[in-house]
Amino acid sequence: MSGRRAPAARTSASDRVARLLAIVPWIAANDGPTLDEVSARFGVPRAKLEEDLQVLAMVGLPPYTPDTLIEVVMEGGRVWLRFADVFARPLHLTPEQALALVAAGTASRALPGSDPDGPLASALAKLADVLGIDPTEAVSVRLGESRPDVLDALRTAVAEGRQVRIDYYSYGRDERTTRVVDPHAVFAHQGAWYLRGWCHLARDRRVFRVDRIVEATVLDEPVERPGAPEEGADDPFELGPDVPRVTLELDPSARWVVETYPVDAVEELGEGRLRVRLAVAATPWLERLLVRLGPAARVVAADDPALAEAGVRAARRILARYRR
Amino acid sequence: MSAAKLERLLNLTALLLATPRPVSAEEIHERLREHYAEDADAFRRAFERDKDALRSMGVPIVVETVPGVVPAVDGYRIPRDRYYLRDPGLTPEELAALRLAASVVRLEGLSARDALMKLGGFVGEGDEGLGLSVDSLPAAGVAPLFGAITDRHPVRFRYRGRDRTVDPYRLDFARGRWYLSGHDHTRGADRLFRLDRLESPIEVLADRTFERPPVPQPGLPLDPWLLGEGEPTEARVLVDAAQAPWIVQHLGPDSVVEERPDGSVVVTMTVTNVENFRSFVLTFLDHAEVLDPPELRDDLVAWLERQVAA
Repeated sequence: MSGRRAPAARTSASDRVARLLAIVPWIAANDGPTLDEVSARFGVPRAKLEEDLQVLAMVGLPPYTPDTLIEVVMEGGRVWLRFADVFARPLHLTPEQALALVAAGTASRALPGSDPDGPLASALAKLADVLGIDPTEAVSVRLGESRPDVLDALRTAVAEGRQVRIDYYSYGRDERTTRVVDPHAVFAHQGAWYLRGWCHLARDRRVFRVDRIVEATVLDEPVERPGAPEEGADDPFELGPDVPRVTLELDPSARWVVETYPVDAVEELGEGRLRVRLAVAATPWLERLLVRLGPAARVVAADDPALAEAGVRAARRILARYRR
Repeated sequence: MSAAKLERLLNLTALLLATPRPVSAEEIHERLREHYAEDADAFRRAFERDKDALRSMGVPIVVETVPGVVPAVDGYRIPRDRYYLRDPGLTPEELAALRLAASVVRLEGLSARDALMKLGGFVGEGDEGLGLSVDSLPAAGVAPLFGAITDRHPVRFRYRGRDRTVDPYRLDFARGRWYLSGHDHTRGADRLFRLDRLESPIEVLADRTFERPPVPQPGLPLDPWLLGEGEPTEARVLVDAAQAPWIVQHLGPDSVVEERPDGSVVVTMTVTNVENFRSFVLTFLDHAEVLDPPELRDDLVAWLERQVAA
């Protein structure tokens, strides 16, 4: 993740001005910090920092006599600023900058291990006050649903490289199983949490939705098959060519299918209707899609003839329950 | 960028920040003559570029008529109250917590590093060893709306074929998308908008402000079965044991009205959108059953019967 990287050097035009306008108030407010400290704190190489501070000594107010210029004293590896009152405070936060912090902070508060009364909460309250908003009212971020104990167990298992036993409801296959998994990563993707790992039951790599994990127990056993570093670079949900396909014709009201699921092919049929080809990882998934779409979708071709009838079969099964 | 340009931009900023009254371009040229070309046209071009560069960083340069000059002439200044960031007084622990948060949760195309620099720099560590990661959240259109929320400016955009003027109250990221809730003046009601469905760029009406309602906005409901205009109906739904933990987590424990010995649960849901309710219940296939009211139960049965007959 990017946080592990050291902040990169910056060169673009406004960036150098922006950086200096942020650094100056901090130096002025601190009594002779070391150049190394400033360099580390603001992620700017020391040579560049000294270069910028030398320029600062040429900045001031009319009539630009020595007593109206900012005084920069660099001595013994430390730096002092005087007459920098005009830049006493940093430039206000732009909406982009404020949003990046507030959204990240709000989202992180819901992560396992976050202390509701800890420094993040108080930092957000202070920021909200400066921005003139109610800390909990302006932005909320839900990264995904999960039971807090489950998410915490999974991330512990990943961090400690231990196996985890999960009680999992497979939505696609409509079955509940207990599996042992070598966890490789826990990640939030488009509004849901996922666990990626090696499944001992399937003897293959699998991706599990965390909100479908009813219970998770961290085991003492270390993982047997660690994840390869390049895993996860590709789309974790891509379905292979061996998975059967169906072709559906969709009315305009069912166009959301294309936005929601990966499709192999889309063809416009006019008047907003579509013909799409979809991979079917498991029959219950298709059943669900077809009973929800009802008359808005028709199966026009299927690799497996049983799939063509999936919607009608599922509808009969559900109806049987209502007629009991 | 050359040291000369850095020096010039800083001096221009200092001049406009320090002045209590607007300064004309001519006066700026005169004061900063060491930094700009003597030729008036060359100065004007360079000055326009510098102004743009500073504004793109968020420096609030305002244009006002210089007082006491006839004929009227435009002048420039930076109002200090709009330039200076009020000091939130963050402790090192708080700064470190923000840095950690910003390293875990990122928004596409937005960087928290400039914000952290203004607040006191990078303190603490990144996200080492947390055991989880978060894909970058989409951010298209979100920042201007956030700015409009904090500054209480109405916004204008096109949504579902209509141009709307909206007082923006709140942004919600859920199910992988951003939603805006606010008061839609065009409809005269509070509304929820999916940002990925906006049909035009967002226009912030910066010359107008609105009053937020005194009661904090609870955030409009995001559950699809509540996204309707219909009369609210209480539905009771029986969900089988295998799916019970998920529905309880999804709806919250307060929704459970009965836990049966076989592990199944009966939950209540307030429904204003029958179509979305039906669609949600059908995702459980034959593992859920609408118990009442009869009209919602009949709707679902009729829907399925049509499918079987087709």
